[in-house]
Amino acid sequence: MTQPYSELPAISLNQLMARRQLLKRAGGGLGTLGLLSLLQQEGVLKTADAAPSIKATNPLAPKPTHMPGKAKSVIWLFINGGPSHVDTWDYKPELEKRDGVALEGFDNKTGFFQNAVGPLMKSPFKFKQHGESGKWVSEIFPHLSQHVDKMAFIHSGHTESNNHSPALFMMNCGIPKMGYPCVGSWVTYGLGSESDSLPAFVVMSDPLGRGLPKGHSLNWGAGFLPSVFQGTYLRPTGEPIDNLQPPSVLTEKGRQRSQLDLLKSLNRQHLQQNEGDQELAARIESFELAYRMQSAAPEALDISREPKHLQEQYGIGTKKCEHFAKQCLIARRMVERGTRFVQIYSGGMENQRSWDGHSDIKGNHSGFAAETDQPIAALLADLESRGLLDETLVIWGGEFGRLPIAQKGATPGRDHNPHAFTTWLAGGGVKAGTTYGATDEIGFKATEDKVHVNDLHATILRLLGMDHEKLTYLYSGRRFRLTDVGGHVIDKIIA
Amino acid sequence: MRNSTSALILLFGIVLPVSLSAAEKKTALPADHAQRMQQGLELFKKEVRPLLVEKCLNCHGGKSVKGDFDLSNRKQLLDSGMIEKTGKESYLMALVEHREEPFMPLKEKKLSEKEITSLSKWIDLGAPYDKPLATSSKSGSEKMVITDDDRKFWSFQPLSSPAIPKVKNKTWGQNQIDPFVLEKLEEKGLPPNEQVSKRTYIRRAYFDLIGLPPTPAEVQEFLADQSPDAYEHLIDRLLSSPHYGERWARHWLDIARFAESHGFEHDYDRNFAYHYRDFVIKALNQDMPYDQFVKWQLAGDEIAPENPLALMATGFLGAGVFPTQITANEVERTRYDALDDMLNTTGLGMLGLSVGCARCHDHKFDPIASNDYYRMLSTFTTTVRTEIEIDLDPDKYKREKAKFDLAHAPLVKVLQEYETTQIKTQFENWLKQRKIDTTQLDEWIIPDVVSHSSKGKARFEKLEDGSVLVSGPNINQDQYTFKLRTNVKPIRSIRLETLSHRSFPHQGPGRAVNGNFSLTAFKVKAKSLTDKKGNAKEVKLTNARATHEQNKTTLSAKSAIDGQYGSGWAVDLGGIGKDQAIVFDLETPLEVEGETELTITMSFTNNVNHSIGHPRFSVSNSSTPAVKTGAGSPEQLSKALQLVEQGHPDQLTAAQKQTLERRFREQDSQWVALSTKVNQHLKTEPQPALTKVMICSEGPEIKPVRHHSQGKDFFDETYFLTRGDTEQKGDIVKQGFLQVLMRSPQQEKVWIEAPPKSATTSYRRTSLANWMTDTKQGAGALLARVIANRIWQHHIGSGIVTTPNDFGLQGERPTHPELLDYLANQLIQHGWHLKPLHKQIMLSATYRQSTDFDQEKSKQDPENKLYWRRSPQRLEGEAIRDSILYIGNRLDTTMYGPGTLQQDSQRRSIYFKIKRSQLIPMMQLFDAPEALVSIGQRSSTTIAPQALLFMNAKFIRESAKSFAKRIQEMHPNSHEKSIEKAYHIALGRAPSASEATISLAFIQQHQTSYESEKKPEPALLALTDFTHALLSTNEFVYPN
Repeated sequence: MTQPYSELPAISLNQLMARRQLLKRAGGGLGTLGLLSLLQQEGVLKTADAAPSIKATNPLAPKPTHMPGKAKSVIWLFINGGPSHVDTWDYKPELEKRDGVALEGFDNKTGFFQNAVGPLMKSPFKFKQHGESGKWVSEIFPHLSQHVDKMAFIHSGHTESNNHSPALFMMNCGIPKMGYPCVGSWVTYGLGSESDSLPAFVVMSDPLGRGLPKGHSLNWGAGFLPSVFQGTYLRPTGEPIDNLQPPSVLTEKGRQRSQLDLLKSLNRQHLQQNEGDQELAARIESFELAYRMQSAAPEALDISREPKHLQEQYGIGTKKCEHFAKQCLIARRMVERGTRFVQIYSGGMENQRSWDGHSDIKGNHSGFAAETDQPIAALLADLESRGLLDETLVIWGGEFGRLPIAQKGATPGRDHNPHAFTTWLAGGGVKAGTTYGATDEIGFKATEDKVHVNDLHATILRLLGMDHEKLTYLYSGRRFRLTDVGGHVIDKIIA
Repeated sequence: MRNSTSALILLFGIVLPVSLSAAEKKTALPADHAQRMQQGLELFKKEVRPLLVEKCLNCHGGKSVKGDFDLSNRKQLLDSGMIEKTGKESYLMALVEHREEPFMPLKEKKLSEKEITSLSKWIDLGAPYDKPLATSSKSGSEKMVITDDDRKFWSFQPLSSPAIPKVKNKTWGQNQIDPFVLEKLEEKGLPPNEQVSKRTYIRRAYFDLIGLPPTPAEVQEFLADQSPDAYEHLIDRLLSSPHYGERWARHWLDIARFAESHGFEHDYDRNFAYHYRDFVIKALNQDMPYDQFVKWQLAGDEIAPENPLALMATGFLGAGVFPTQITANEVERTRYDALDDMLNTTGLGMLGLSVGCARCHDHKFDPIASNDYYRMLSTFTTTVRTEIEIDLDPDKYKREKAKFDLAHAPLVKVLQEYETTQIKTQFENWLKQRKIDTTQLDEWIIPDVVSHSSKGKARFEKLEDGSVLVSGPNINQDQYTFKLRTNVKPIRSIRLETLSHRSFPHQGPGRAVNGNFSLTAFKVKAKSLTDKKGNAKEVKLTNARATHEQNKTTLSAKSAIDGQYGSGWAVDLGGIGKDQAIVFDLETPLEVEGETELTITMSFTNNVNHSIGHPRFSVSNSSTPAVKTGAGSPEQLSKALQLVEQGHPDQLTAAQKQTLERRFREQDSQWVALSTKVNQHLKTEPQPALTKVMICSEGPEIKPVRHHSQGKDFFDETYFLTRGDTEQKGDIVKQGFLQVLMRSPQQEKVWIEAPPKSATTSYRRTSLANWMTDTKQGAGALLARVIANRIWQHHIGSGIVTTPNDFGLQGERPTHPELLDYLANQLIQHGWHLKPLHKQIMLSATYRQSTDFDQEKSKQDPENKLYWRRSPQRLEGEAIRDSILYIGNRLDTTMYGPGTLQQDSQRRSIYFKIKRSQLIPMMQLFDAPEALVSIGQRSSTTIAPQALLFMNAKFIRESAKSFAKRIQEMHPNSHEKSIEKAYHIALGRAPSASEATISLAFIQQHQTSYESEKKPEPALLALTDFTHALLSTNEFVYPN
């Protein structure tokens, strides 16, 4: 049964101060109004004990949490296509011993290609131990391996589909079907936004023309939640956000300002005849917000404002990883300015266009690791040095893992594995340097402390101060949850 | 002691709020365990059991299991999660003590203090049972029983016939709707708002019914109309506008989760799904009775298969998402998901019930048993999406055909007269003369076609000239098989003629939309008919050559015998509309004993729908005969000529005689002239204009739409599943309906309709439609309530039931139940026509109220549930966009047809194509649904990106500019007059003095600023800045 949380203490003074400082640091584009409204919010902040309510006049207003949670925002690095755990973070010496031996009793329907089932295959990569935690890490992560003591690894993930889009929906929406709200939507629905001039939930996809993840925008859709909670997709080319650029004649001589002033006075006269209608007042205010957003959003997206050395640290200027480096840097700038949830997809669609290493697992994974290793490592370091890591939850993971056996072909690869995969979390109240759960000795199936996707989601929500059983939305006669009817918080990885 | 323990547990619970199942909590037992259990048992027998049996058991383990809570035995109780180690912390006690809702016992008196204390103590003591309360209860497999008590819930009851309430205020009301509203207002002492001015009313009515503002002239006309029925005329006029359907169809499309792509991994387009949208618009515009509207969407293909609209309507069932890549172990689950989507949308959209909740277990709140779910689900067992070709306007074809037939008959008559009066006698004479010239025989002999078949169920008709005409289904990748018999020996070559015909696009010769075909493979097998046991042997073909080839590579004659899947003989680029031929030589001349049987298979797989439409086969014993079309002698002919030559015309079979006569008359020039006339005219014969349409249907003749699936498209049976798991199948399901909406269980038979003999479908969907629309015994009363509520909701702003998709126990109760029943009755009495209902609502005083806010009234009824005023409503994205285009004179009013993803389209927004991965951003911004699940009411948010759109979007700026031009052209020399005109066009009124003043100052200031920068057309630019602002006002977006 759920417990009553209404007796819990409100947010601590320290946390409040930390947020204030953050806002001051964010400075610039946010303006004083954001700060004021935030502080007003803090003043009345109580813990919630029920499903969030949505204000029609400001659906993204910050909302109280169910309980204290360290994480204020999330950066989810979606390792798209199904990264192979046994070639990245889940070291399996036994696989080396049994390399080339057939896996007895293997069900050919486990992966996607029933006719290309090969024998067990060792990882083409060398593993070494790193950090105080002594974590074994694949050689494809020379930068990230230096940060293993910040991470909490979950090796025992398992999911419900062996097929990309249902598995992507499972990982994003908690159910292997389309049409349900994704984690980012649930989180912004539950917590609102800390920024009134930037989108609350932002998604970036592969900018190298390799396509969108399977299932496209439904991976960041709001499902039955109001569409205000869906992810804002930053277009990789052209204008990243719609309608940010005023018509050219209006940008000159403050003409747009004067036009908005006219609009405001016409609206005010109208409001006088319709007193008491909050929506009308809110709409007047929304034009002022929009006017601010017009400058705040480009400012947040403008990574050229970052010092050169930091850009280089992320990998800007290094051809292989520059695209992902820019996205990571944008992600940091966004969360710093109050964006609640950022998701970045590494890789595009399937096969060689993402981490979907059906053939040539070696070339595929070393290539995509090289695109992301340095930028993610820099992001962790940068967040830490700004004191933001504590309240920013960083997630690394894909929709499923890959099989320990080879997928036959000229250059062998690995097929989909719904039974085991690794996800790591860092920052945001995660217990650093821990490992949770384990797979069998060859990495075929999760065996110890198995973690269902619903459990992962419940844990993410908990880190953000939300109870997954209370974050509900009434739709067609049923209170829906991100975790459906499942979900157990993994307490052991929470600090 | 107990207090400190519970405090500790409470604390522990905060740190670790994961709900642990009872089993996990069974750890070490306290030392006094046995003693406590004994105490508990005593208490149970004496007090708790009678209490539970009397107050709880009926709904929780006895007759039924509500809320998934069964207390009939101890295991169930412990597993339920309703009790903890102590009574105090048990959720059950929170409900019983009325600390949390739902208060228990539901809608009954609260338990006494003594009862509560006993119950709590019993839980403290470990909740022991001496024996189960109900013997029938076994391990949770208990079936939910639907009782008459369940049927007493308001929405499941038959429609009442409420009397029109008596009210004090006799002057306010306009029609019978108003007393229902006024009665409740008077009860609270709330006077309703006054009626709005005619000027406001017409604007409200326009946006409401057609989604566009009235023009200044239309406003003037209405103001000038002083007749008592001016309002009625206005509504009638709007209801007969074709824009009415375009406006209101959108409301239904939200409910139907309509989109034109599959979603999931590839989000492939459903290019022919737009017909469903057109059906909804057309049905509304022609005021189709709502029961028919519902029936056709469920089973139009069975109920009125000859009517294109009925077929288009079935797109409803197939509008949901569907994966296009399905692995072997997902096939079955995916199919159950698809069935669930159909049933759930039907339940939500038509009955306002979340039937889908019963997929995994009995519905937690509504009396919908899991069995009911599967019984209803089986309705759709064999229903799939398919694409067919139909004539959307069969009447037009019928008219034109009749006209043609009239003109054609005399020509045929002349020809026939000539044949009977002249040819017949001459032919009979010729038969006797034995004057035979065998050189007339062609080198190509046309054998008899003895059988034919098509994988895609195309229909074949043998024609007099030895050819075969194809019609009927034309699937993506068909394969034809023909058997021919011939005495020609040896066979050295085979010819295939692909003849044109008027029934094909562009006269053919192919059946593809461009008249082309693509013959991927042409294969021949041969056997001797004398050798009964011999197997047909493959005949090797070579030297393919044709009268025309589309290219010399993959679409050449050779491609038909190259064994390649991706190539085939095709004839576009010069060969369309004409007869064509292809000839193959046999590697080895074929000579068998006796008659030869040839089996010819032709496959058309390297392009979609590229089948041949009118083939004719001939064989030759000449060496490398020429490629040509035409000529060719029927196989019968040489035998027949022989008989004539030998003087035995009496031995001719009827067929042989017919062949001879045909040949004879073809040599008569007069006959040829008359026959040519007939044939020339035949070429002008009108043909049905076929359009591809995505429908839903079933049966052996249809081909399901499928993409990359590693399994079947559907299964022949639906099974009861445990927890919705396809690995846990129970019995095969027999169709049924919701018990709670059947007045008598035996009645099911009344609705279930056996398919007629000729039917290819199961008629299960027709049976569902019968139950759905039966207002007396079936679901019809609820069906009427739900749609009446939807109509009310869109006019008034909120429904009488404010949860339009949930009329169940979790939904809101009606604020005015009698009014809802009154409206539902009205609807049924009007033969389910919606337009009279619209009219009655819009003529009511309730609808005519002003939006004026009143502090005092608001205190009593802040949510305006009693309708003391009209709640202001923001226009939907569609209406905003359409109206802005309209005011800028840029709206393209073309109706129907394929939609577009182009955001700069100037057609009405309902014609945007709805592609699930590329939803139109502006519609999204204004809360349009994502087309994934049924949405009965959109949210109405106000967010900054909407303002950004008004400020910066190109289409708004362009519309503002053309709006500015419009007013400038009317009054080139006066900004004052332009401003006034702009207000009339955009807001339907004159500006106030202060509005006019600040607007003028603004325009002048901007004009000066533009002039100083030497910008071209400074006045137009300044006016554009003004109209741009005017279109962005609250008043425009929130019409009163």
